Amino acid sequence: MKYVIVLLLMMITAAAQATEDKYNFATAEREQTFRELTHELRCPKCQNQNIADSDAVVAKDLRDKVIALVNEGQSKQEVIDYMIDRYGYFVHYQPPVTPATIVLWVLPVAIIILGFGFIVFRQKRAAKKQDWNAADEQKLAELINQYQRQEREQ
Amino acid sequence: MNRKLLGLVPFLIFIFLCVFLYQGLFGNPRELQTGRLGHTMPEFSLPDLMDSDKIWTADSLKGEVYLMNVWGTWCPTCIAELGYLTELRERGVKIIGLYYEQAYDPDFGDQFDINALRQDVNNMLSRAGNPYQFNILDLERTLALDLGVSGAPETFLVDKQGKILLHHTGDINERVWRTKFAAIYQELTQ
Repeated sequence: MKYVIVLLLMMITAAAQATEDKYNFATAEREQTFRELTHELRCPKCQNQNIADSDAVVAKDLRDKVIALVNEGQSKQEVIDYMIDRYGYFVHYQPPVTPATIVLWVLPVAIIILGFGFIVFRQKRAAKKQDWNAADEQKLAELINQYQRQEREQ
Repeated sequence: MNRKLLGLVPFLIFIFLCVFLYQGLFGNPRELQTGRLGHTMPEFSLPDLMDSDKIWTADSLKGEVYLMNVWGTWCPTCIAELGYLTELRERGVKIIGLYYEQAYDPDFGDQFDINALRQDVNNMLSRAGNPYQFNILDLERTLALDLGVSGAPETFLVDKQGKILLHHTGDINERVWRTKFAAIYQELTQ
């Protein structure tokens, strides 16, 4: 079992190196940008893979384009904008704030605020309801007396 | 009365969530990939598939309403839609092919045989029907990338000014044409 895992790990790292070695970058910073971008950009053909992960022709083309743009010195945001311009918001994993996606951003916050509000509101109401008066006190004393009498008689 | 209405709020939120999540679950995510809608056809300069000396540009396509159909002989769905597209051509729809070559990889040098490809395309079109006025060869898929093409077949409806009005992913058949294209096409060609 151990050997299988080691073998698998070796295969994975070899494959990863094989894809990474192909590309040349002027600076380490650009290489880092490229790596981040290929993990953040989504393959338009295959839905739930990023373009680093996918073997689709279009994913390869997008990788090549990202390399070209990064080597031109474009920033990460510029490359993302370039891709969104062509493939729509679908191509980026992070949804932007637009009228269509606002619900994704607002809903979790709204649920938390509403939930807390509800709890606080209920507790306040429960606290207010306790109006203990002399009549209640007397009634309680009577009940205690009655109970103690019963205990003694047994 | 007010309290009763307040009690309905969680229920309404629940209904809203149901609708929202249902859409997410059963909507077609491919419909969202339309970054180029409403823009004009991007600039390009690409050769004709059958004649390398003839160069097509965005300007040379202007002046007529046309469909740009991204396709390749390697793509079974593209071949399946050739029949219906040919029918559309016979009804007077102008269809331009954007040949999306899949095998070509610039990293591996030029092992690409254009004559073999021409032969292959000619065979295919004479067998399955030829809907195309002409084909543009997008060997390195640069125009396809600018158009936001993710594969084949995909089809664009472009107006006389070169503005992209529709971007359809998948094949075109009678139903797709009727529900998605027909109304807009008719309005444009009146």
